[in-house]
Amino acid sequence: MLAGGAAAGVFGSLLGLGGGILIVPLLTLGFGLPLREAVGVSLVSVIVTSGASAGVFLQRRVANLRLGMTLELFTAAGALIGGLVAFLLSEQLLAALFALLLVYVAITMIRPRDEPADEVTDAAPPASAIERSLSGPGYRVTNLGRGAAGSVGAGVISALLGVGGGLVKVPVMHLLMGVPLRVATATSNLMIGVTASASAVIYLLRGEIDPYVAGPTAIGVFLGATAGSRTAHRIDVRFLRVLFVVVLLYTAFQMIRRAMDIG
Amino acid sequence: MTRSPTDATDEAARDDGGLEQAVARLLTVGTYAAVALLAVGVVGLLASGRSPLGGGPSLDMGRLATDLVGLRPEGFLWLGLLAVIATPAARVTLSLVGYLRRREPGMAMVSALILAIITLSIIVASMSEA
Repeated sequence: MLAGGAAAGVFGSLLGLGGGILIVPLLTLGFGLPLREAVGVSLVSVIVTSGASAGVFLQRRVANLRLGMTLELFTAAGALIGGLVAFLLSEQLLAALFALLLVYVAITMIRPRDEPADEVTDAAPPASAIERSLSGPGYRVTNLGRGAAGSVGAGVISALLGVGGGLVKVPVMHLLMGVPLRVATATSNLMIGVTASASAVIYLLRGEIDPYVAGPTAIGVFLGATAGSRTAHRIDVRFLRVLFVVVLLYTAFQMIRRAMDIG
Repeated sequence: MTRSPTDATDEAARDDGGLEQAVARLLTVGTYAAVALLAVGVVGLLASGRSPLGGGPSLDMGRLATDLVGLRPEGFLWLGLLAVIATPAARVTLSLVGYLRRREPGMAMVSALILAIITLSIIVASMSEA
């Protein structure tokens, strides 16, 4: 379990994803945990990894605290909703949703990375006072309303499926709101802590987090992510990407089988 | 939407360096403390030879203190997990204080609302549990 968590952490940090997308399948398919319990444990692990790296990003002034906190308000609200809805859905439906997420991630990995959209120009709509106060050096935040709506969605997905939700937040901030990719990634990371803890509390109080599972998994992911971020520059990410896509698709297949099997 | 602030106040408002560094320190310390507690618990768990899949104890605040004093692994695991979940909320609280000191009602309000949502999820979860 420690090793599995470590593997998820290494993989996740090398590819710029939280470990969540791998932890849930690992615990359900590998160790036979019920899906909801796996999601609870995954949320805890995701908070640990984001906490460690968000500290570094803030210190280096890459993450935008104001923007992060403003959007957090919406991801946390989404997480509250998602955390409650998760207890109303059946395991099969959750498994099916997770399979969908896996396929979606696999597709985004195969697609060549989009070249960054043209620099935000004067053509951008005039920013409101709030949007200005959230902007950082060299960029201007726009489309705050749509960004907030996207954040609610990211919060719901995070709480339902135990992932950080960076897959939604990063494109929302980068493509929609005009935030540079590096800042969007760092800020998304910062937001994971609050988002995941809003729903982790629900899983915790409802007895879905088993300390004997959560402890080793969280430590494993933490160690793996630490090791991963130190070696990232020495590894050929293209090969890793292909391997990851294969793992994702295989996992999706297993999740679909699970969705059909039970009940 | 109203009068846009001048560039000068824009710059002043962006000077979050001090607060960002304080928040960064809190996040780092909180995370490492939580990881250390969990690590102690995991080592204890391994030493006791119990399987992690045997099903762990549920959270019982009353027993937490005695478990810790008795150096039982579940005490450290639970305290570590609580520390993990509390760290982000602590960070928001620190930001709330920071923004209040800077007389930034907007950001202070955002911080307060985030705390309200976290509190709400605690209330909702414990209500439906009962």
